[in-house]
This record gives sequence, C-alpha cells and structure tokens, in this order.
Amino acid sequence: MKGDMARYANPETLVETDWVKENLGKPGIKLVEIDVDTKAYDAGHIPGAAGFNWQTQLQDQVRRDIISKEAFEKLVGGAGISAGDTVILYGDNNNWFAAYGFWLFEIYGHKDVRLMNGGRVKWLNEKDKPLTTEVPNVTPTQYKVTQTHLELRAMLPQVFEAQKSNWNLVDVRSPDEFTGKVIAPPGMSETAQRGGHIPGAKSIPWSTAVGPDGTFKSPQELHRIYVEQKGVDLNKDTIAYCRIGERSSHTWFVLKHLIGLKNVKNYDGSWTEYGNVVAAPIEKG
Amino acid sequence: MNHGTRVYENVFEMMPSEENPTPMVRLNRVNKSSEFPLYAKLEWMNPFGSVKDRAAWAMLKDMEERGEIGGERGLVEPTSGNTGISLAAMARARGYHMRAVVPNKVPLEKKILLQIAGADLEVISDELCPAPGLGDGSINLAKTHAKASSHKYAMPNQYENEKNVEAHFRTTGPEIWKQTEGKITHLFVSLGTCGTASGTSKFLRSKKPDVKVVAVQPTEGHDVPGLRNVTQLGVSKLFDSSLIDDILEVDFRLAYTRALELCQTEGLMAGPSSGLILEGALDIVMRDKKGFGVLIFPDSVFKYTSNMVKHIPRLGERTSA
Repeated sequence: MKGDMARYANPETLVETDWVKENLGKPGIKLVEIDVDTKAYDAGHIPGAAGFNWQTQLQDQVRRDIISKEAFEKLVGGAGISAGDTVILYGDNNNWFAAYGFWLFEIYGHKDVRLMNGGRVKWLNEKDKPLTTEVPNVTPTQYKVTQTHLELRAMLPQVFEAQKSNWNLVDVRSPDEFTGKVIAPPGMSETAQRGGHIPGAKSIPWSTAVGPDGTFKSPQELHRIYVEQKGVDLNKDTIAYCRIGERSSHTWFVLKHLIGLKNVKNYDGSWTEYGNVVAAPIEKG
Repeated sequence: MNHGTRVYENVFEMMPSEENPTPMVRLNRVNKSSEFPLYAKLEWMNPFGSVKDRAAWAMLKDMEERGEIGGERGLVEPTSGNTGISLAAMARARGYHMRAVVPNKVPLEKKILLQIAGADLEVISDELCPAPGLGDGSINLAKTHAKASSHKYAMPNQYENEKNVEAHFRTTGPEIWKQTEGKITHLFVSLGTCGTASGTSKFLRSKKPDVKVVAVQPTEGHDVPGLRNVTQLGVSKLFDSSLIDDILEVDFRLAYTRALELCQTEGLMAGPSSGLILEGALDIVMRDKKGFGVLIFPDSVFKYTSNMVKHIPRLGERTSA
C-alpha cells in the first residue's frame, strides 16, 4: 500500500473548491462537469467548464460498455483538452458520475486528472463561487490516447476468479440491496433477476466515505472505517461494485487514491450484470 | 374586506388569519373515541387550495418588501406542486413570472395545474440511485437557476426560508389556539419542508408547553408528493427535532386508503398526506387514550386521482361503458 494514514495516498488527485476558483481560466487547467442529467449543466456551471452527459457520452450507445478509445479521443479533443492539461472533474449526485469519468480518464491514460471535492452541490452552496450559463468557447484538439489501463476494470470472469482467490470484494450499495431485501432502489428500471450480493463481499455503502457536505472524510477516518472496522485487507487485490458502476467508481477512487490500495478495479457491470448471470453464486442476508 | 359576508376586493384579502381561519371539522366516524376527539383543519379551504398558501404568501410579501422581485426578476422554486401552485398564482396575480422545478414522480394533475396557475414548468428526472440526505435534484436545479441567472430569478427557497415557519407561527398556530379555546393536547402534522410543524408547534408550545406534536412520515420509497421520509429530512433546514415529540413512520400505502376512507365516511375530500396523518393520529388515540387532537390536513384529493388509482386499482374499474 502506498502512503501512510496521515495523508491521502495520492493527494494530488483531489482539489478543493477554493483551489478551483483561484485557478479558473488559467492555461492548462480544464474543467469538465459530468452529470447524469445535463439540465444541471445547462442551468448553470462553473465558468469555462465543458459538460459531458454520463449516459450518452461516456457509455457506448449500442452495446453495454464504456466508450471506445476513439470515442474518448473525439469527446475529449472536442472539449479542447490536450494530453498535458490538468483536467478537473466534478458533477451532480455527489460526484458519482465525475468519479466514473475520473476512472475513464485514468483507463485512457490521461496523466493529470483530479476530482473537485464536494462536487457541484458544494460549489453551488458556497456564496463566493460563481455559476454561468455561458457555453465556453472551445478550440478542439487532436487528442490521442497513448496508453490504456484496462487493469483498472473488472470484467465478469475476474469477478469469479476474485471469489476463489479471496480478494477484497466491496459492495457499495445500500444495506437493503446488499442483503437482497430489494433488488434495486425503488422505482429503478435497471434491475436484476435476483437480489443479494457476491459471496464474500463486504457491505460498505459509498456514503461511508463522505461527510454531510459530500467531501471525503480524512485519511485517518477512511482508514479506520474501511480497514479497521470493515476489514478491507490492504495486502489483497480489490474489486468495488454497485448496481451500474457509478457509485462503485466513487469508492474505487477512495480505495485507490485516498486509502492507497495497490490493485483496485471497478466492476462496472456490477449487480445489473452479476444478478442476471445464470448459475452465478449469490449470498443473501 | 368582510369575513362575515365573505366579500373581498382581491384574492389576497382571503388569506387565512385568526380572524379568518381555515375551518376545523370533527372526525366522527373514523374516530370513535369520545375521550380523545380529533378535529381536522381543512387547509384546502385556503384560496389556492393548500396549506402552502400560508408560506407562499409570507415569502412573497417578504421578497416584495426587500425589493428582491419586480421588473424582469421573477421567481424560481423547487416544488412538488402545492407551493408552486400557490406561488405561481400569487406571483402572476401581482405581475411576476415564476419557474417551477418539479421531480418527475409528481402526479400529472399537479404538473398541469402548475401551468394553469401560471408557472413555467421544468421537470427533472428522479434520482438514478437515490442518495438520501444529500439534497435532491429539484432543489439544486432551482438554486442553480437563481445563482447562474440571478438577473431573472430569485428563489424563495421554502426549505430554508424562515418566513415559511413564521407564517405558521403567525397564522396556523393562533388560529388553532383560538378555535380549540386552548383545549388542544395533540397536534398531528406531516413533514415536508417542516415549516408547518415548526411554526405551529412553536406557537402552541408558547401557550401550552406540554402540547404533544406528532409528525407522521411515509415509509421509504413512497410516492406521496410533498412529504419526506425520515431519511430525507436533511434537505430541510427548517426541521427542528426539538419541536416534535414523536415521529411515526407509516406505510405510505395507508395514505391512500385512509384518504379514501375520509372521503367516503366523513365527507371530507382529503388528499393522501391527510390520510397518512389520520393513520398516525389513530395510533396515538389508542396509545394515549385521552386528549384533544388537531390534524392539519394539507390539501384535498382532487389533484391525486392518478395516484389514488395506482394504489387502489378498483377505483379504475367500471370506468368505461
């Protein structure tokens, strides 16, 4: 494990709202808002920020998959981002989708990507932080992905393997979803045939990692919760999952960049895949 | 203005007060206890159809007095319907525009009514994976409009505006005190923005410190518009747990069956939030045995026919030739 308990493992991956305000408009700093509902971006966003729609722009629109390398290059280049830029991500729903975006940027090898602590809501509620409806003037770039890190992603065969090899399996859904009392939060259309959890998984809801204002807890608190209380083994490989892979991106970020576990994968197929797989072992309760 | 003959120069003169209270009606058939009578305060008799008229009027007047609205600058508000209807109708009657941000799960009738009342409607999709306590999409979107387009919009913000609470301290509480001649022992309310509960409780306790205030909440996953489950109360800054003695969680489906019962046995055309409050009140009648209860019934059933059919399917049978 990298780092110690006194600081986050990779503190440079997290920026505060005040830092973002101070660096607005500076060369080499690019903001991207990632929302599940881009009404929020259209109504008002941080000045200069591009807006990505998680559903239509970060997901392949034909098959269930992340966007391809080529689509990522087109999206990011179209937002005026260059390989050397510092990309700051933030968004709605407590940064779930921004964290997913972070994971994607890291998969496609962008060197310097950071998450704005607290997301949209924190910026919105701070009186000194401006919002604008103006869409930024962008000069597109020829963005090229030079390396891909698919080891950050867990696919179904690895999930089965992880059970045999006794990896950390972190289920970040609500307790009712974990136990199988419900298959998905009420009213959700994307669900599964069966409820429950992957055998051996620990229930650590995503919100465990944040305070009431959506900012991440301190390094000491995170270590105490995840390692001491919940038993995440620092020496094991880890897979985080949820229902569709966005809450688990948030926890993936915590485990990898804040606590510093060495090999952490986000299982974006998550329960909507696993809970539908014929003959996949499931635990309830 | 003449409350005796009910003749007014404009709709605002009809707003409720100690001199012009909303009526209270005893529940005779759903509550058989002679030792613990229950009286329903019928807030749908307000000019725009709900308890929210009180908060809306107080917030609007305050914004006018402070010069926050006027000219090009109108209102934006996150609303499940009733506050929006009140604000929209009031705002338009006074020459302001109003944008209502509404969650998708709000019944169709309310969405249409908001537009009839004069609101520009903006519907936001429900949370993909609900995150209790973090503030919901409609509140944050309305705040965004007020911040990013402040030349166009001011936000009353019913979830944080103390005028919401003050409205009930100045009107609902004094009305109840006068109408019950001080005999009230229990107040039954629901919790949404928590303005009604906080303001009314504060006033009644200033007169009689041992009045019991019982708040009734729907179970998680409910679809009763305007109400919040205990896990969702964090979004309202007006919630003050010290003003509430009991919070009862009631199966949200009972909101609809009890509302139907009120319509069909008491002749009171009460909406589902009233049904929920009734269920909680009857539990307390059984528990405490003696008392004098007042239930604040927020609105009528007329806006909720589609939700009523969803939860009581037999209402949809025999509706065609």
